[in-house]
Amino acid sequence: MNVKINLDQLPKEELFGQGNVGCKGCGGAIAGRQAMKVLGERTIITIPASCMATLGGNNRHTTWKIPFYHTLFECAPAISSGIRAALEAQGIKDVNVVSWGGDAGSADIGFQSLTGAAERNEDLFHVCYDNEMYMNTGGQTSSQTPYSALTTNCTVNGKKTNKKNMLKIMEAHDIGYVACASIAYPADLMAKFKKASSRKGFSYIHVLAPCFKGWGIPSDQTVEFARKAVESGLWELFEVEDGVRTRNYEPKLIPVKEYLTPQKRFSKITAQEIEDLQQQVNTRYGKVGK
Amino acid sequence: MSKVLMTGSEAAALGAKLANIEVLSYYPITPAFPAMERLSKYIDDGELNCGFIRAESDHSALAAVLGASLAGARSYTVTNSQGLLLMTEVVYHAAGLRQPIVMAVANRAISAPHSRFPEQGDAVSQGASGWIQLFCENNQEVLDSTIQAFRIAEELRTPVMVNYEGYIQSHTSEEVEIPAADKVTKFLPLKRMAALDVKNPQGVNTVTSPDFYMDYKYRQNEAMEKALTFIPEVTQAYNTEFGRDSIGNLETYKMEDAEHVIVAMGSIVSTVRQFVDAQRQQGKKIGLVKLKTWRPFPGQELYAVLKNAKFITVLDKNIVFGVGGALATDIKAAFYGNSDMVINGFIIGLGGAKSGIEQIKQAVESTESSEQRNSTLWIGM
Ligand SMILES: Cc1ncc(C[n+]2csc(CCOP(=O)(O)OP(=O)(O)O)c2C)c(N)n1
Repeated sequence: MNVKINLDQLPKEELFGQGNVGCKGCGGAIAGRQAMKVLGERTIITIPASCMATLGGNNRHTTWKIPFYHTLFECAPAISSGIRAALEAQGIKDVNVVSWGGDAGSADIGFQSLTGAAERNEDLFHVCYDNEMYMNTGGQTSSQTPYSALTTNCTVNGKKTNKKNMLKIMEAHDIGYVACASIAYPADLMAKFKKASSRKGFSYIHVLAPCFKGWGIPSDQTVEFARKAVESGLWELFEVEDGVRTRNYEPKLIPVKEYLTPQKRFSKITAQEIEDLQQQVNTRYGKVGK
Repeated sequence: MSKVLMTGSEAAALGAKLANIEVLSYYPITPAFPAMERLSKYIDDGELNCGFIRAESDHSALAAVLGASLAGARSYTVTNSQGLLLMTEVVYHAAGLRQPIVMAVANRAISAPHSRFPEQGDAVSQGASGWIQLFCENNQEVLDSTIQAFRIAEELRTPVMVNYEGYIQSHTSEEVEIPAADKVTKFLPLKRMAALDVKNPQGVNTVTSPDFYMDYKYRQNEAMEKALTFIPEVTQAYNTEFGRDSIGNLETYKMEDAEHVIVAMGSIVSTVRQFVDAQRQQGKKIGLVKLKTWRPFPGQELYAVLKNAKFITVLDKNIVFGVGGALATDIKAAFYGNSDMVINGFIIGLGGAKSGIEQIKQAVESTESSEQRNSTLWIGM
């Protein structure tokens, strides 16, 4: 399916974001705003414990103009499964049911309910907005923290295991649609949300949404680093639709160093580790030499 | 009304079916699974029009049911023991969100050590969760209470647990009178209250400041207290409608001149009845108070029926470690400063241990002879 997003023709209305209590420059909030431009008001969103859940509202205020439910940490896809069943029982149609977790709420503590909902092929989609750390509790290591990154509980040489490949795992569920996006490419991101919302069955979208605090970059550089991750070839924009894999963007392949070394979290990365990462990218993109 | 032989599992499933549940989710566990399978069969056979979420865990099962309830559907689940413990986080959360979920619990002992046998420790572990908890003596009560539970839950916006014991009830058949389906539908009109509704978007469970939080909790507790008067109203209405004799929060049995009273809940009550009958024949002034509503705790109502007793023997099929049986502890607290009778609590029948006439007799004798007053004693050691 070909979906083209024309940024000039997006609705002016903001269904998410106004008055949110997130940090200025929050990558997750940017993802939310972009997503809502295409999902529209007939959407019910569940967000497990995370920054994105807490910035969504307090007391009687909410930044969402759609039904928003801050769920328990482990179970947003299960909650959304129940919501879908309830809508069906009442004959309510044309509603996007979305669960939206951080990397912990999707890949770690939230993984069980995610894999369950995916296997059942529930008619909903799950978004993992990935800042590669547990930011709501101060920036601890997650399974999505990349190799050699420093976190608040991995403070000496950085994490010494690999980032768990959630996209491969979700692909292995043989669901209809799996996609990888970055907040620096809004048209691509929105096209992916549009596809997921127009499909029946379970879809999974993994979005790179940097946290400037956790990453140790200036707060006005969130989008810039979400771009560099892609341009360096470390973060691939792709989708797998009904088993067909498409790379959605050919990166310029700037040196991975340009992405890594300005981030404080990579201040302990060694020259060899950078070299290894560069080689991995080169292999993936069929490039010879540096 | 027709009478049919059925197990507690079948009575629970039939109650939920008659209540026209719209969304079901569960995760298999023994001894609750026959109720689950029966419900799935109703759905598969087209006898019940209900969405089913085949959850990958007990936690997700209650989460799914909660999501469904928030989106306006009448929702139901079944579990026990480890399943209930795994659900605990969602149990509290659902009560805080004031969702009228009904859950059957086929009470079973908690691991470790491993046991699959009856005990009420699983339900007792959730005693502070904000769920109304009803304990059923027999399978008729399982069916009646399940139907009543939806009315109670939906009116008070408070979830309800319907407890029946594993095996003793879940796998044992008794005669049960079945109310007419159309009458039950009338008894349980569907008043939807969807918190998640695209036509009226709201934020649910937003970050709450201390003053708001305290206010929510006050109201939650207020609803619980209201249940003490509301539950008997519902059973009354049910009895009128269906010509039945189901009880409110508690039932008194042979209490006229009773000097010694046994207090118990769940299946053991039936055995106590036999014991009391036999003792009465020997001229003993003994009676029984059966508690159906454990949460909220009808302390004043209990006091009113027990205040003239000299001896009270409380039977607890649970143990709160370092404290005693939950029921005895609550009774003592409710009677504080108001009485000088002997109240002895007995831990009995844990993990399926014997809790027959012999054990009840030991408890009663011990209360009358014991030097110890207001203590906790273990039966059958
Ligand atoms: C059962 C449970 N355990 C722990 C927590 C504490 N907790 C809240 S948010 C969070 C981290 C969230 O990390 P992630 O999903 O990556 O989202 P982020 O905050 O980084 O955006 C943790 C550990 C919790 N809310 N519930």
